[in-house]
Amino acid sequence: MQALPAKSQTQPFSFLEKIWRNYTLRTVIQSIFTVWAVITFIFFLVRLMPGNPIEIYVNYLINSENLTYEQAYNRAASQFQFDPSASWLEQYFGYIGQLLRGNLGESITSTGTKVIDQIMRFLPWTVFCVGLALLLSFVLGMLFGMIAAYYRNSWIDNLISIIAAILGAVPDYIWGLMIIIICGVQLKWFNVGDLRGTFDPSLQPGFTFAFIFSVIQHALLPILTYVMGTVGFWILAMRGSTTSTLGEDYVNIARARGLSQGRIITAYVGRNASLPLFTLLAINIGFVIGGSIIVEELFVYKGLGSFLFWSITQRDYTTMQGILLMITIAVVFSNMLADLLYSRLDPRVRISGDS
Amino acid sequence: MNFLKLVWQNKAGFVGFCGLVFYLLIITVGQWVVDFDDDVKLDQINSPPGSRLILLTRPEDKERYVSLADLEGHSVGVLEKTGGPAFVNNYANADAIKVETYKWRSSRGVPDALEGLAKGEVDALVMFSKLAQRFVLDSENRYFQKDYAHLTISNSKLGPMLLLGADTQGRDMFTHVMNGGRILIITAVTAGLISTLIAFVLGTIAALVGGMLDRALVALANFIIVIPRFPLLVVLAALVTLNNWVLLATLIGLLAWPALMRAVRAQVLSLKERDYVEAAVALDLSQAHIIFREILPNMMSFVAINFVVAITSAMYDQIGLIFLGMAPINDYTWGVMLYFGRSRGTLFNADSAAMLLAPVIAIAFFQVSLVLFSRSLEELFDPRLRSA
Amino acid sequence: MEDNLVLSVQDVSIIYQVARGNVKATNNVSFDLYKGEALALIGESGSGKTTVSLSFIKMLPSAAKVTTGKALYTREGKTVNIFELNEERMRAFRWQDCAMVFQGAQNAFNPVLKIKEQFFDTAKAHGWRKRKEVYDRALELLKLVRLDPERVLESYPHELSGGMKQRTLLALGVLLDPQVVILDEPTTALDILTQRAIIDVLKEMQGRLGFSIIFISHDLALAAEMASQVATMYAGEMVELGTVDEIFYESLHPYTLGLLQSVPRLERGQDELTSIKGNPPDLIDPPSGCKFHPRCDFAEAKCAEKKPEFATYEKEHKVACWFPEKVIEARQGLWEKAS
Repeated sequence: MQALPAKSQTQPFSFLEKIWRNYTLRTVIQSIFTVWAVITFIFFLVRLMPGNPIEIYVNYLINSENLTYEQAYNRAASQFQFDPSASWLEQYFGYIGQLLRGNLGESITSTGTKVIDQIMRFLPWTVFCVGLALLLSFVLGMLFGMIAAYYRNSWIDNLISIIAAILGAVPDYIWGLMIIIICGVQLKWFNVGDLRGTFDPSLQPGFTFAFIFSVIQHALLPILTYVMGTVGFWILAMRGSTTSTLGEDYVNIARARGLSQGRIITAYVGRNASLPLFTLLAINIGFVIGGSIIVEELFVYKGLGSFLFWSITQRDYTTMQGILLMITIAVVFSNMLADLLYSRLDPRVRISGDS
Repeated sequence: MNFLKLVWQNKAGFVGFCGLVFYLLIITVGQWVVDFDDDVKLDQINSPPGSRLILLTRPEDKERYVSLADLEGHSVGVLEKTGGPAFVNNYANADAIKVETYKWRSSRGVPDALEGLAKGEVDALVMFSKLAQRFVLDSENRYFQKDYAHLTISNSKLGPMLLLGADTQGRDMFTHVMNGGRILIITAVTAGLISTLIAFVLGTIAALVGGMLDRALVALANFIIVIPRFPLLVVLAALVTLNNWVLLATLIGLLAWPALMRAVRAQVLSLKERDYVEAAVALDLSQAHIIFREILPNMMSFVAINFVVAITSAMYDQIGLIFLGMAPINDYTWGVMLYFGRSRGTLFNADSAAMLLAPVIAIAFFQVSLVLFSRSLEELFDPRLRSA
Repeated sequence: MEDNLVLSVQDVSIIYQVARGNVKATNNVSFDLYKGEALALIGESGSGKTTVSLSFIKMLPSAAKVTTGKALYTREGKTVNIFELNEERMRAFRWQDCAMVFQGAQNAFNPVLKIKEQFFDTAKAHGWRKRKEVYDRALELLKLVRLDPERVLESYPHELSGGMKQRTLLALGVLLDPQVVILDEPTTALDILTQRAIIDVLKEMQGRLGFSIIFISHDLALAAEMASQVATMYAGEMVELGTVDEIFYESLHPYTLGLLQSVPRLERGQDELTSIKGNPPDLIDPPSGCKFHPRCDFAEAKCAEKKPEFATYEKEHKVACWFPEKVIEARQGLWEKAS
């Protein structure tokens, strides 16, 4: 085994370095750092943008409720979670302190409602839909990408690649529109109106068959839309990755070793070819969550995306700020999970100092 | 020529290339060939594709009055606020025809005109095919006028066909589709240019300068990548009023560069390792020489491909924003057609599917053309892929 | 002698179908491989050494086709023609009967599986399911290649150095006790000391386990050291076959002689080093007669007209040349000058 660089023992920061060498710890620390950066970014975004929402809200209060500037400002301060007499820095730390306690402030439009409670109401539906769609599209993409790579330059490959390119080129919400117009309105395969919302409102939520069926039924179209929008990306990525893996010596040698085709495809080609895809998950998760605003609006699916859009149209800045923060944190942590999963799958990532 | 020959080798890429040429023609020449139809026409509201103006006459005149030319020296009836008056007035010899205009009085307007024709006030009526169908031909329809059912259509193809039907204001959708791409494509290309330029400049600087600057730029890029771009864009669009396309393109471009910047940086780093660049460094050639003579030419293909990809993603962001109503809707683009299609409920109207499908297909095909073209570019620039 | 015949290659020709025509990669190659014997195939790159070996385990690229010939393989008295094995029997044949150690072992192992898993995989594919037994056998073999067996088995490939990987691959190669081991330039990517160690290990293993070796190399010194028989290949054809001594000291083919002269030797000066003039021929449209004649110093009109037969010159020494006497003459002049 190659020896570790000897300097780690002699340096004064060897303790920090040891943490840094541990892949898992490093990933977690990086993620936490990113979350902090996002919080800071959003804090200043809301306060320093040209159309400063606090000022807008204060003006709105003065006009609509005939408050004095002082009163309006204090009211805004309580809803945005800051102490108006404090400096920027103090406000900033105050805000972070509130966040650490899980307090995202109160909704501006519906006074007295905690933003965090609102988010928790809508978040699970988006996580369910987007998560399932990502999983499906990842698995389908790997499958078809591998098929295309195995039969590369044949008609199967050409067909899969072209379809993948077309699927990936067209925005997901455009696929959603096509599904509604063609399948729903023209061919009448389903009634678009019945599929609004996250489940049939006449049913009582619970672990009943009817309820679960309704949940799946309502999620089906958004999921189909997300899958259509992303599967092409995964197919092409997996195709490229598999093509280069198939050229690797170890795959050839595995054949020479007399391993069965099944074992070679799964453990030798599949596993190695899928590794680079985990690093692409990061961008894709953000993309799908981003797309959920339009897709949820389109299908009137009451998830976090459509809730964000609602808060934007209502100019509910505290809610908007909270959701944006939540979405980003969700992306950061899914990235972290993907990274950790990746390190479990690829032994080369685990730095030798780890063991 | 050589370029075309190479593009032709890749069939899908060739389709993409032709598609892009087609779009280029539409956004340049299209506006002169097809005027944007902005006249409200009450008879055409939500018309399906294929409908057009027809000529209605008394049965005995069926052979006599077939075109406007036959009606010179005779009288013809039209309904106000429909496509008829403009059509007759645009006829080359319009002065020779006596035009009688009937008032549009909700459901009474058409029967008035029909009565006029039956009584011989006019010799023919110019009206919209859907109306004729409803009032004269379809006995099941509640507007059916059995007293005038004897009137016959002497020419069912009088006016130009509405290729894609008409929108909620009876305006010709085809003219909208032909005119609705220009601003969208210009915005997307501008945004793509901005993001590609930023990515290229920052990526090259990060790779060549290295050190703290490199780390800072990479950290910045990683940070921006993590924030889901589209929600951020929507929030920003709510804070900044996006009232013109330059601002929209800039905003989209400013958020789209990080992924490409990382790729450019990696490319430049690997180019730096190559022999010819190392040779240039060893020969003590200037930094500018190395960038512009050694690295840039080798990056052109990579940048070109990613520029095309950047246009597709700018298109995604832009139309998404418009669809949600968060971007300027004063130009009647494909995105705005979708926006109105949804906000005015046309989405669920089976008859007006074309009104939404037309922009949907226009957008989809544009994106597909770009992606197919970028794939053939990839093969063009990479001889290894070409031979395969 | 016949009882010990392991692999009898008879008249094997292989073509590659490419857009420009058929590349005649291997032409009428024949040789016999006996138990415990090591045969070295030497020649320039593109001379068909690897192609012919790949055909024995049916791992030729899809564009390649065996057009003529047989490869008769004998184990425990039963003889089969390798080319006629179906897919499943071929799979079983690979590694269990004929293992091939490719050049560049750097990437020979699946990076995400521990070495022991790859040993288990190989054993399991051939119906050997007792992990403990496999593990013990692997330990024994790794010890034989002078590695720290437990440690290697628990490692991932990236944790091993190039030489260690090559040795591990050798150990893996003989895991199933094959009769034939094909070594395709097994030491190319390694430094000189590691090369040395690998060769020692190989010889020791061969001595203990008694398998036969087909050794593919363009390194003549290594071939001389490893092999008992040497075959020279040129442009897809076997041009000379003999024992090590016959080939190196009594070479009969001008090409073999050319190869020998292009190798630096301690006893000779730098200036004596000559390369063979010209380039390897186009295999789609090869030269007429003897394929080597355009590059041959001794060629006469006859060489371009008629192809010399690959025939016995004396004892087991075979050559395909019209004028071996000229080579003998030139060779003697050479040795005299050297001494």
